[in-house]
Amino acid sequence: MERKEEKREKVLVREPITFPQIASLEAISDLSVVGRPVSRTDARLKASGKLAFGGDYPQEGFLHGKILRSPYPHALIKSIRIDKARELPGVIAVLTAGDVPGRNGFGVVIPDQPVICGDKVRFVGDAVALVAAETEAIAQKALSLIEVDYDPLPGVFDPREALKPGASPIHEKGNLLASHKLVKGDVEKGFSEADVILERTYKVPFVEHGYLEPDMTMAIPHADGSVLIQGPMQAPFTLRRNVAAVLGMPINSVRARSVSMGGGFGGKEDSPIDIGCRAAVLAVHTKRPVCLSLEREEVTLQTAKRHPHIMEVKVGAKKDGRIVAFQGTIYNEKGAYASLGPLVNIHSAIMMPGPYEIPHCRVNAYLGYTNHPFGGAMRGFGAPQVCFAHESMMDELALELKMNPLEIRRINAFRLGSKTATGQILKESMGLREAIEACAAAFDWDRRYREAGYGDPERSRRRGVGMALGFYRTSIGTGFDGCGANVYVHEDGSVLLYTGITELGQGSFTVLPQICAEELGVEVEDIRLVAPDTDLVPESGPTVGSRSTTLMGNAILLAARQVKESLLETASEMLFIPVERLEAKKRRLYDRENPGRFVSFKDAAARCMGMGRRLIGQGWWAPPPLGVNSETLQGDPYFVYAYSAQMAEVIVDMQTGEVEVTEHVAAFDIGKAINPQAVEGQIEGGVAMGLGYALMEEVVLKDGYIQNLNFQDFLIPTVLDVPKVKPIILEMKTQYGPYGAKGMGEMPNIPAAPAIINAIAHACGGRVRTLPASPERVYWAMKERAERQRAK
Amino acid sequence: MKDLQLTFHLNGREVSVQIPPHLQLVDLIRDVLNLKGTKIGCREGECGVCTVLVNGVPVNSCIFPAMKAAGQSVTTIEGVSAGDGPLDPIQQAFIEEGAIQCGFCTPAMALTAKALLDENPDPDESQIRQSLSGVLCRCTGYSKIVRAVQKASLSRRSSG
Repeated sequence: MERKEEKREKVLVREPITFPQIASLEAISDLSVVGRPVSRTDARLKASGKLAFGGDYPQEGFLHGKILRSPYPHALIKSIRIDKARELPGVIAVLTAGDVPGRNGFGVVIPDQPVICGDKVRFVGDAVALVAAETEAIAQKALSLIEVDYDPLPGVFDPREALKPGASPIHEKGNLLASHKLVKGDVEKGFSEADVILERTYKVPFVEHGYLEPDMTMAIPHADGSVLIQGPMQAPFTLRRNVAAVLGMPINSVRARSVSMGGGFGGKEDSPIDIGCRAAVLAVHTKRPVCLSLEREEVTLQTAKRHPHIMEVKVGAKKDGRIVAFQGTIYNEKGAYASLGPLVNIHSAIMMPGPYEIPHCRVNAYLGYTNHPFGGAMRGFGAPQVCFAHESMMDELALELKMNPLEIRRINAFRLGSKTATGQILKESMGLREAIEACAAAFDWDRRYREAGYGDPERSRRRGVGMALGFYRTSIGTGFDGCGANVYVHEDGSVLLYTGITELGQGSFTVLPQICAEELGVEVEDIRLVAPDTDLVPESGPTVGSRSTTLMGNAILLAARQVKESLLETASEMLFIPVERLEAKKRRLYDRENPGRFVSFKDAAARCMGMGRRLIGQGWWAPPPLGVNSETLQGDPYFVYAYSAQMAEVIVDMQTGEVEVTEHVAAFDIGKAINPQAVEGQIEGGVAMGLGYALMEEVVLKDGYIQNLNFQDFLIPTVLDVPKVKPIILEMKTQYGPYGAKGMGEMPNIPAAPAIINAIAHACGGRVRTLPASPERVYWAMKERAERQRAK
Repeated sequence: MKDLQLTFHLNGREVSVQIPPHLQLVDLIRDVLNLKGTKIGCREGECGVCTVLVNGVPVNSCIFPAMKAAGQSVTTIEGVSAGDGPLDPIQQAFIEEGAIQCGFCTPAMALTAKALLDENPDPDESQIRQSLSGVLCRCTGYSKIVRAVQKASLSRRSSG
């Protein structure tokens, strides 16, 4: 599997992107459903507490699964005795590594994580035995009766230490899981032309997704040998693939059903695979349905986090502010298992120089295993980490050159036709500069930058303003990006829409029906979306990468058009009007030149059914896979990007280092906003999450043990921490998205933290280079600045 | 330990059940009485998604012993409106303002807002924020939730 993975990377060099445009942008001005703030289709159920989340489904007759975890970050398993646990009344099964029927490993990219560890444990959350019992309490008791002898090994807790010779090897192939190199131009030549060169190191920690719904899963074996896995999950198809391999079954024997999630943010891409595989093994072994629910502390112990990065940045610029060279080194901490790390590593490398046109760039990204919990996907997939580095560096450079932070960004930011760090030419849908100007105008940057800031030594609470830019892809880019949709129109005009895109709160169950309704010419209420279930819906890939609206939206358009063809043909016969003159809108098919002549959607559908005409459409859409050279990362990695400019105001307490964020303006070019209210919600929520990343969020680790397992110590923003956020939506449409839409679920999270950190520096003079900017860190940053001033 | 008899009012009806003495209110509501609108996020009284009202006051039902509810009046989201009939103006405002994303905190937010507006029909923004600060939301950034409570306050006053 690993070898295959490497092979795939080698053949990634490909021709430039060419694929058909999906929508004629001129024809989309007159929309009746798309572009409107339609209320969520699931809002009423959610407001009344009636929507069933995973743990709300009945559990009568289910066994309860529990996981015995390693107490050591790194150890060999010498022996394991399970007799006592097995004899406990109510215990149905106690399983160890030998009981896994198929492949004893799972993972989104590389299956390097054991379902049950046999010989070795690699972090404190590793599973060494699984228990199924009649009640949760009995299962819990059984865990305490399992005796395991460990032989502890030296732990590796720093990604730089992990790569040194002599470091304790965590996996057989060593501790370097992946390394990527981006090379554009000649960075040495660039630095030789620079008037100013700055070098800085920035660090970001592990953070939790903090979805409020803890993970849970149900595994239900069927008489025909198939198994149903039901629960919150962002990636039912990836889960199915993994569970099938672990059970040693063909993929078509595993059915994955995703129920609406209480938040995911990327975390529920792989945690459901982890517990899904384990519950499935218990269910198949006991031939009974098994429910495996994690407590909050278990979620923190066991599931993926955002990857920590140590980022060394060197930047060279001309006196006038033009950046001529960028060099970055990323030590990307993997933790114990691969999860999505290799893909995050590529993305971090690609995104590190930021949304700036820089002629000479080099980035080296090293992904090293450690004996910590593992990194996975989290809203931004490497981009929030590197954005903190490049945006902090932009402000440090502006300070060095005595320039306004807005001015230096105006000079260097992408424009239409710019060449990115991968050498991609941005040919369309480029709204970064519009976002910068809209944000600056709404925030009143020039005045506030002048009036706030370090300067008045008398004030004990000082205001400062900061800004940051970011960009983000739509799609995964590295494959598995195909999206299928089925549209099924019935003779009464009602519609079923089948997709495998899941609902984690982002609003796809509303936005996708909007696209379907617009294309068919009906209302959102006419569409019933079939919840994702791999036995019912076509392959859709995972709900990640800000891909759902654009990629699945395109698939829905293609599916709806197949049905629409039947409807238009039928309406044309009924009205004696050529098909070319017909328009479908608001449940009518009518003559564009004489809208009074129409047939209802329902009548046309009934007649289609009677005549045996096609009323089921299947659409399939995928962007081309990653088109970059594997040696240099040069090429076109993604087909389109969204852009953002954000500005924040903070007040810093000069005595304590406490920071209050008082205002945040966030402007975006996201192409067409299919549902502006949902877009605003993503912006406000993404900014709040970025505020947490900036100021308070950190999984604190000591010798491999997490110190803050629950919300009492792992702080996420409350309503008192988050200021009013002003969202600004700009629509520079892409010809490759439905109605011109680009992805935007992750984008708001990316520049929020550095905007706040830059505002702190502006307010108090202290530059925090390690997140989060706790009062202590801000205090020491101020101290350090004061000492530097004195030395001068 | 022997089960104990507990009698209290739940959503306006008297309920009498035999329960283990250590049972927490959230487990009574969810597992014994089968009302699933009350959620569990942390089981240590931090995230607030298990919020219910006891005599109109928001409490974290995950750290509230069920026996303490004896003789008291408990309101869950199902007691505000279970969605079969018309919704409460608070629930309506949450929908209209887009204050719901994943929805896992929504019942707790709506109940907390109800407790506030029952006590103070015309709160200012800082009072709204103070009162909601015991419930975490990871999706919305809170802006639309605050606006929904403001809207509900207005519509309750204009209709009342």
